[in-house]
Amino acid sequence: MEDFYCVITFHVTQHALIFEKTLIDKGLDVKLMPVPRQVSSSCGTAAKVSCNKKSEIIQLCKDKNIPVDSFHRVENPKGNNWFLKHLKK
Amino acid sequence: MGGKRKMFIYGGIIGLIAAILMKMGNPGNMGICVACFYRDIAGAVGLHRAEVVQYIRPEIIGFIFGAFIISIVKRDFKSRGGSSTLIRFFLGFFLVIGALVFLGCPLRMILRLANGDLNAIIGLVGYLVGIFIGIQFLKKGYTLGRSIEQNKISGYIVPTMAVVLLIFLVIKPAFIFFSTEGPGSMKAPVILSLVLGMVVGAVLQRSRICTAGGFRDAMLIKDYHFLWGIIGIFIVNLIANLILNFDSFHIGFADQPVAHSNHLWNFLSMTLAGLCSVLLGGCPVRQTILASEGDTDAGVTILGVIVGAAFSHNFDLASSPKGATPNGKIAVIIGIVFVLILAYGIIKNNNKIKSQNKEVIKNA
Repeated sequence: MEDFYCVITFHVTQHALIFEKTLIDKGLDVKLMPVPRQVSSSCGTAAKVSCNKKSEIIQLCKDKNIPVDSFHRVENPKGNNWFLKHLKK
Repeated sequence: MGGKRKMFIYGGIIGLIAAILMKMGNPGNMGICVACFYRDIAGAVGLHRAEVVQYIRPEIIGFIFGAFIISIVKRDFKSRGGSSTLIRFFLGFFLVIGALVFLGCPLRMILRLANGDLNAIIGLVGYLVGIFIGIQFLKKGYTLGRSIEQNKISGYIVPTMAVVLLIFLVIKPAFIFFSTEGPGSMKAPVILSLVLGMVVGAVLQRSRICTAGGFRDAMLIKDYHFLWGIIGIFIVNLIANLILNFDSFHIGFADQPVAHSNHLWNFLSMTLAGLCSVLLGGCPVRQTILASEGDTDAGVTILGVIVGAAFSHNFDLASSPKGATPNGKIAVIIGIVFVLILAYGIIKNNNKIKSQNKEVIKNA
């Protein structure tokens, strides 16, 4: 597993769906997922995308008029959760 | 450790605690029931006078404390609000009416299933149908709008409410009602309920488990992250019941505690609950957690739940083990129609605003 991945969050679930469809049509990697815990304590829908396509994706959203909330780079947790650490013992 | 296993463990903790609370005195298959517990609280403060369901449930106070404290520690606490607050109030209002016709919130539905109550399967199917209908609205652009940051003090109101309830629970003033018989009189020891409630609140805040969110994501985006939490609740509760509550475990439709077998109304009432939950973005337990971490809209939603629960008993909407009441059936139908019109109106208006915005861009 890589140490990080990138997600885009949306204000409206429908925008996430349109975003997914648009990227698939362009042949770009995209996977919808719950907003990662590190980004927010909410539980909405975000899109996982490859980090090195950031500018291309943002341009695409501008062209296609898809409103996005924000772009995040998320580090994968490295098992530093105190609670689970205790469980593993 | 994979995300799935983590969610399963988080859910499992909730399932285990629910079985323990039932063993220690909570009503049958009601180790945890958010709708029922708010209903009991509504009764305790005299908003309704159904004498058998009045008690300040320490579990609810615990959920709020647990989620509040851990959100402060982990810096998730943020006062926010202003996202269609009145609409949320009424979605909470009708959600609980549905839940009380079924006799349990979605979480209790899972716990009922894990103790052999097959009526809960009918409820679950109804719940899934409600979520499916809600998803159709999401796909068409349904949103209650984004919330904005609020004055910090507003986020502390719900935790303060919990403190006041705790004081009432401990000193029992004359104006507070506690049931002496019926489900309201069946309770685990206060300290145990409070402490285990806090654990549940903390676990739910960290994991973000939501019965509606789990099924919604599975259907809408084929993501099973939250569903594993629900599976964890079910499986661990089932195992724990077999060990701790074996006497009460029996598989079937008849003679289940605080349940009835009106299939149609079990189905439709949970359809209403599922629909409201998706449109709110979370089931009652999730709303409680959000309210505890500063979401004032969720705070108003739980006020809607409390008021709806009070009306449920004042207007004779809530079911009894004998079955759904005529008034309850009418209320479920009105609820479904009301919520469908509401969601449709929101979509229509949102799309209108969107096309107007596009015009602006074109002209520019």
